Amino acid sequence: MRTAILCLLVVLLTAIGLPAAELWVGGATVDITPDQPVGLDGFRNMRIAKEAATPITATALALESREGEKSLDAAIMVSCDIIAIRAGIQDKVREKLQGRLPGVDLRKIFLNATHTHSAPVTEDGKYALPETGVMKPSVYADFMTSRIADAIVQSWQNRKPGKVGWGQGQAVIAQNRRAVYADGTAKMYGATNVPEFRCLEGYEDHNLEVLFFGDPQNRLIATAINLACPSQEVGGNAIHADFWHPVREKLRERHGKDLFVLAWTGAGGDVVSRLMYGRAADERMRKLRGHVSRLDELARRIVNGWLDAYDGARNDIRSDVMLRHVVKDIELPYRKVTEEEVAEARKEAAKYATDPKQRWNYRWNQNVVERYEAQKAGTEKPFQMELHVLRLGDVAIATNPFELYTDYGVQMKARSPAIQTFVIQLACSSGGYLATERAVRGGGYGAVIQSNRVGPEGGQRLVDCTVQTLKELWKESAK
Amino acid sequence: MKIALVCLIAFALPVGAAELWVGSATADITPNPPVPLTGNTSVRIAREIESRLTANVLALESREGDRVLDQAIMVSCDLCVIRPGIQEGFRKHLAGRLAGFDMNKLFLAATHTHQAPVIQQDRYDEKDYEDALQPKEYVPWLYQRMGEAVVKAWENRAKGAVAWGLGHAVAGHNRRVVYSDGTAKMFGNTNDPRFRGIEGYEDHGVHVLCFYDARNRLQAVAMTLATTAQAACSGNKVSANFWDSARRRIRERHGAEVCVLGFCAPAGDQTPRPQLNKKAEERMQKLRDLNHCEEVGRRVAAAFDDVAGVIAKDIRADVPFVHRVRQIELPARIITEAEYAESKKICEEIDTRKTRLKTDAWKRHFHGLVVERYLAQQKGGWKTYPMELHVMRLGDVAMATNPFELFVDYGVQIEARSPAVQTFLIQLAATGSLPAYYVPTPRAVRGGGYSAEVTHNLVGPEGAQALVDRTVAEINELWKTSAKK
Repeated sequence: MRTAILCLLVVLLTAIGLPAAELWVGGATVDITPDQPVGLDGFRNMRIAKEAATPITATALALESREGEKSLDAAIMVSCDIIAIRAGIQDKVREKLQGRLPGVDLRKIFLNATHTHSAPVTEDGKYALPETGVMKPSVYADFMTSRIADAIVQSWQNRKPGKVGWGQGQAVIAQNRRAVYADGTAKMYGATNVPEFRCLEGYEDHNLEVLFFGDPQNRLIATAINLACPSQEVGGNAIHADFWHPVREKLRERHGKDLFVLAWTGAGGDVVSRLMYGRAADERMRKLRGHVSRLDELARRIVNGWLDAYDGARNDIRSDVMLRHVVKDIELPYRKVTEEEVAEARKEAAKYATDPKQRWNYRWNQNVVERYEAQKAGTEKPFQMELHVLRLGDVAIATNPFELYTDYGVQMKARSPAIQTFVIQLACSSGGYLATERAVRGGGYGAVIQSNRVGPEGGQRLVDCTVQTLKELWKESAK
Repeated sequence: MKIALVCLIAFALPVGAAELWVGSATADITPNPPVPLTGNTSVRIAREIESRLTANVLALESREGDRVLDQAIMVSCDLCVIRPGIQEGFRKHLAGRLAGFDMNKLFLAATHTHQAPVIQQDRYDEKDYEDALQPKEYVPWLYQRMGEAVVKAWENRAKGAVAWGLGHAVAGHNRRVVYSDGTAKMFGNTNDPRFRGIEGYEDHGVHVLCFYDARNRLQAVAMTLATTAQAACSGNKVSANFWDSARRRIRERHGAEVCVLGFCAPAGDQTPRPQLNKKAEERMQKLRDLNHCEEVGRRVAAAFDDVAGVIAKDIRADVPFVHRVRQIELPARIITEAEYAESKKICEEIDTRKTRLKTDAWKRHFHGLVVERYLAQQKGGWKTYPMELHVMRLGDVAMATNPFELFVDYGVQIEARSPAVQTFLIQLAATGSLPAYYVPTPRAVRGGGYSAEVTHNLVGPEGAQALVDRTVAEINELWKTSAKK
C-alpha cells in the first residue's frame, strides 16, 4: 500500500511538472553592415561589394532560468547574417566579453550563421582582394565581433522575466540540390530535364520549428525560427541578408519594430531554396501575385508557416519552463583521404598554385594534400568541435558547425526525447559540408573529399553524441 | 524574312484557341453500413460512417463553333483502387447514354482512401464479409450512382473557362525508412540508432485547376498532390479521409456547389502519416483541436486558397485542349527462381493450413500471382504489362495518368522533363483488366520491404522508366502538335 502511494506521488510529481523556475529573456539586434567596400564570401570567385542592398544584422537572445535570486542556467545565442562562423570568430567575441558579463559563463554563448552568400569575408587570404579600397577581412571581423559583443551585453542586461511558447509550422523552402543520374553519379544543381535524370538524392525537412518569447503581458518580444535551409537565394555583388531580411520586415510589421528575430539554419547541407524543377510554374505564380520576387515569395511562405505555428502555440505559452544548457568539446574523425583522391587534388592544386585569382581553388585542393600528408605521417588530429545542447521546456536545441546534410538532422530529430528539436547548423565554427554515405557514393561538389573534412563516419558520431547528450539532459531533468 | 515573320507570329499566338465547355457533378457513393472496407491485409467491417464518399465528375469539351475538337470525362472516386475491370464495366454501363462522347476518353481515378468499400468480390475471403454489403452488390449500385453523375456532368456542360496554379502543402510524407544495413521498411521506426534516413524525396506541390462558368463563377476544382488519402482518422469507419475535410473547407469558402475532384499524384512511397516529428504534430493538432484527417484537409484547403485568388487573375476561355488515349506495354518485373520458390512455398502453406487466417486470401492472391507470373514468364508470357495512358494538354497544363502506386521519383522525372508550365499527374487511374500495385525505384528495390518486393510489383524500375519516357514523349508530342496548329 505504502509503495503504491509512493508510486502515485512520483507519478503526480512528474505530471505536475519539472522543477519550476522563472525564465528571464533579453534581446538585442545590432547592425553589422560594413561602411566600406568588402570582399564577399561564399563563391569560388572573388566579389567586391560596394553597397548594401539590405542591412546585415546580428541578433542576440539571452535566456536565464532563475529560482528567486539564484541563477540556474543561461544561454546567449547570436544569429548572424554571415556565411559561416569562421575559425576564431567566436573566440574573439568571447575575448571581447571578458569582464563585461559578471556571473556569465562565456562558454554558454554561441554564434550561428544564416549562410547568406552576400556578407563580408572574415578570413584574410581566402581571396586575392585588392590591397587598397577594400576593407581587409580581419578589419571587418574585428568590427563585426565588437558589434556582436555589444549585442550580447545589451541582451543580457535587458533580460526580464518572460514567457516562452513553441510551435511547429511548415514552409516549403528547401529544395534538395543534388540531382542523381542513371549512372549513379550525383551533381549539385545538375540538370533535371534530361533523360538520364533519375531523382533528387535526399529528403527535405519542411517543418518550421519556432520559439516565441513574450513579456509577462504576453507581448511578443523575440522569436527564433529554425528552418532547414540556408539563406542563399541572393547572389550578386551587394551586401544582402537574403530571405531573412524580408522575413524580419514582415514579422516586425505585424509584431512591432522591436521584435528580435533569430534565424537558425537547420541541417541543410544538401538543400537550398533554388528550384531544381518546376521553375516555370513558380515564375508564373509570382508574376500573378504581383511580380513578387523569389525572395519575397520565400519570405511569404516562412511568415505563413510562422503564423500557423504561432496560431497553435499561443494557446500554450509558459513562464515556468526548465532551461538547461550543456556545452561539450567533442572530437570527430576526419574523412580519410584515399590515394586516388590525393593524386587528383595534387594535380588540381598545381594547376591553380600560381594564379592569385584561383586562390580559392588552390586552397580547396591543397588542403586535401596537406590532410593526406598528416594522415600518412600519423600526425592528423581529430576534428574538434564545440557542441551546445539545450533543453528549454519540451524543446531541445542542438548545434553543429557543419553544412550538415538533412538526413543527419532528421536522425537527431527522430531520436530526440523532446517534443520539438531545433538543430542549428553553422554554429560556433565552420566545419564544411558533412555529406551522407549516399552522397559520397554519388560524388560531386559538396560530397567529394575537398568539400568534406568530416565524412559519414564522423556524421554518425555527431548524431549519436548529440542524441546521447539530449537523452542525458532529459534524464537528468526528470530527476 | 517573310517566312521567319510568319513562323514567329504562328508560335507567339495562343495555340489552337477554342471554346472550352465544362460540366460537373457529384455523386454520393456511400453505401449503408455494415460495409466491408478494403486496403488492408484483412477485411474490416465498418458499422459507422465518419464522412460521405463521393465521386466527382468533370466533363470537358473543346469546340470550334459546332465542331468538337476534343473531350474528356474524369471521375475522382473516394475509393481505394479502381480494381481490374471496374472502369471497363463502367464504360459498358454508360454505353449509349453520352451522346457524342468517345467512351475511351473517360477515366476513373481513386483517392486511395482505405475506408471505402471492397469492390472486388474475391479480394478477401467471402466468409469475412459477414453480414456486410457484398462487393458484387455494391458495384452495380456504384455504377448507377456514378453513371447518373457522369450523364449529368456531360449533359450540363456549357461554355466555361479554366485557370491553373501551383501551391504547396506539406501533406504527404515518404514512408520508407532506411537503416544502417541498407534495408528499408515501410513505416519503420525512426527512433532507432540504426535509422539513417528517409529513402526518397517528397513532393509537396499542389497542382490546382479551377473551372468557371460563363460568368466566371467557380464551378469545379481539380487538385492533385503526391499523397494518398490515408491520414489517421477514425479507423474502421467509412470515410473519404482528408478529402472530406478539404472539400468542406473549400466549399465553405468558395461556394457550397463547387465540385472538388481530388487526385493523387505519383505517391507510391508517400502517405500523410509522418515518420518524423510525430510528437510535435500531435501536439499542434491538439492545440488546434483537430484530428490528423482534419489537419491534412486544412493544409490542402489552405494551399487551394493560396492559389485560387491569385489564378483568378488569369482565367482563360480559349485554351487548347487535346486528349490522347494510348494503350501501351511496359516491361514487366521479371521474377527470379528464388522469388518463385518462396511464393510457391507460402501458397502451399496457406493451402494446406487447417486453421484459416483472415489475411490468407490477401496473401494467397499476391503469392499466387507471383507463381502464375513466373510460370508464364518461363513460357515467354507476362513479359509486358499493358496499360491505358491518358495524356492531355489543357492550356499550359499537361495531364497524364497511370494506374499504379508510382513512387514519387518518377513523378518528379515527368514534371522535370515536361515542356508544360505545370504537369498534373494522376496515379491510380484508368486501371485496365490487370491489377497495378506499386512501382518502386531502383533504390527502393535495393532496400526491399513491402511495396518494393516482387509480390507487389507487376512492373519494376525498368517498366517505370519506360512509362516515364513514354509519358514525356507523349506530352512533348502534344506540345509539338498543338504548337503546329
